[in-house]
Amino acid sequence: MTAVHPARSAPGTVRLDPPYDWRAALLVLVAGFLLLLSGQRVQLDRFVALSGEAILAQLGFVEGSQVGRGLGRMVQSLFPVAVEERREVTRIADLDRDKLPAFARIERIETTRFELDRTTMALVPIVESKEYLVEPFGYLFRVFGKMVETIEIALWATILSVLLSAPIAVLAAANYTPHRALYYAARGLVSFLRAIPELVSALFLVLAFGFGPIAGILALGLHAAGFLGKFYAEDIEAADKKPQEALRALGASKLRVLRSAVLPQVAPAYVAYTLYILDRNVRMATVVGLVGAGGIGQELKGRYDLFEYDHVGTILVVIFATVFLLDQISARLRARLL
Amino acid sequence: MTLEVDHSPRVETPLLQFVEVAKTFADGTRALAGVTFAVPRAQFCVLLGPSGSGKSTLLRCVNGLVEPDRGTVRFDGLRLERRSLPSIRRRVAMVHQHFNLVERLPVGTNILTGALARVPAWRAYLHWFPRELRDKACALALRVGLEPHHLRRRVSELSGGQQQRVGIARAFLCDPDLLLADEPVASLDPATARDILELLREAARERATTVLCSLHQPELAHRFADRVLGLRSGRIVFDGPPERLDEAALARIYGDGLAAARLELAA
Repeated sequence: MTAVHPARSAPGTVRLDPPYDWRAALLVLVAGFLLLLSGQRVQLDRFVALSGEAILAQLGFVEGSQVGRGLGRMVQSLFPVAVEERREVTRIADLDRDKLPAFARIERIETTRFELDRTTMALVPIVESKEYLVEPFGYLFRVFGKMVETIEIALWATILSVLLSAPIAVLAAANYTPHRALYYAARGLVSFLRAIPELVSALFLVLAFGFGPIAGILALGLHAAGFLGKFYAEDIEAADKKPQEALRALGASKLRVLRSAVLPQVAPAYVAYTLYILDRNVRMATVVGLVGAGGIGQELKGRYDLFEYDHVGTILVVIFATVFLLDQISARLRARLL
Repeated sequence: MTLEVDHSPRVETPLLQFVEVAKTFADGTRALAGVTFAVPRAQFCVLLGPSGSGKSTLLRCVNGLVEPDRGTVRFDGLRLERRSLPSIRRRVAMVHQHFNLVERLPVGTNILTGALARVPAWRAYLHWFPRELRDKACALALRVGLEPHHLRRRVSELSGGQQQRVGIARAFLCDPDLLLADEPVASLDPATARDILELLREAARERATTVLCSLHQPELAHRFADRVLGLRSGRIVFDGPPERLDEAALARIYGDGLAAARLELAA
């Protein structure tokens, strides 16, 4: 007779332990303590105090709050947003007064300035009149134009990233790479590309290619290639092996098997990744514009630095509308292609 | 004027020859323990044996999906090795237990992938197959019992039996000399299984294609085979016409599983 644990092996007394034990409880306690420490390091206590104050102020218990005043100032300066474009006529080089742009008008504004007369020592009013060319929707159109440029940057960046990442993905897929060394090189390359944030590479690319969209396209495209290369490769590795084996048994070469047995199976996921990258590129294209890499971000930075917050407001509204619209379009596109 | 070619010496060499072929997998499983046999042309040869007897491994040694540790495989007198593998694969087609079709491609394209190794690269990558091949695929689809409206449908929308019909059409597209069928009906219901095997045998007979087909039900082997090879633990324990597949033979093939096999035979 061998000794057995009666509680475990006797029939009818099999038991299921509860899903958590004291170790899990200890783990939660330790994790909670560490999070508390970390929270203090990143000033979460101050965040709670400030937002609590703001909520109390809203409810009328305290008189005003720092956060409330800050947000209020911001909203007041952003809205109403700028829609019209107003330029001094004297600064426009060749203005044909008989042929103004559509909907445009010329406004004359008189300003009174007081100047000290040196002989009489009295303040003398001086009336100055300035003419402005006012285009009622001028600024809105300008922002639209910049937004289109931003979308173009994002589109080309996406095309660039797909073209770059497709061959990298084949090399970075363990089951299709021609050589182990190429596999590690490709994996290293996608990690490297993904590790550099767009904003940082845009800073350097602006130095190389100058201000404008080229730097933006390259910065976004290289980063996205790192992302897509990784995800494309992992899908190739995870694709159903059975059809691949069947085509291999028929004598098809590796690349032909990849085309016919792998690509159709991974295509829906590839479409989803690529649409996500397009969406992300549109958003990031506005950000890389801040460092001069073209598009609406460049306009945003300029207006922000000139304290023209109503113009900044227009830009933000247009960005939001665009992202929302693109989201809808890509959702429809996905539904149709999958 | 047609040239008279003397085929007589070639006809005498069997299409497929195994000499002392053995295979042990990396995990220590011995799948084949020295197998010797030959399959003449145009024979419907059934490999019969319980699960794990080495049937799949044996079939996969023919088209290089498994590389034997020892022994030689000859196809049409040509020794199977890395160099000869591509040309042999073009002449050997395979039908799989799980169909192994590309589920998101339409039926027509799936049949046409049977010719993937034979068309120029640009056609292969664009799936732009030549007219004759497309017509042949259509004719084959009808021959294996598919309807014209199936051709444009995705394979995943078809039933198991219909999917195996697609698999058979793909295998026959390039008129192979040898058709390997690895448990072609194991995932189908009994009635569909009989239909599919019937189709396989008839289609092979029309083209004088040699078939090496693995099965695990003696009843089906009895009904469809010209010759049965009984496999157990990686060794051939029976070789003869299906009529000689008596109880003693089944006991040799199935051992303890004999009772189950006899039940099936009686059914």
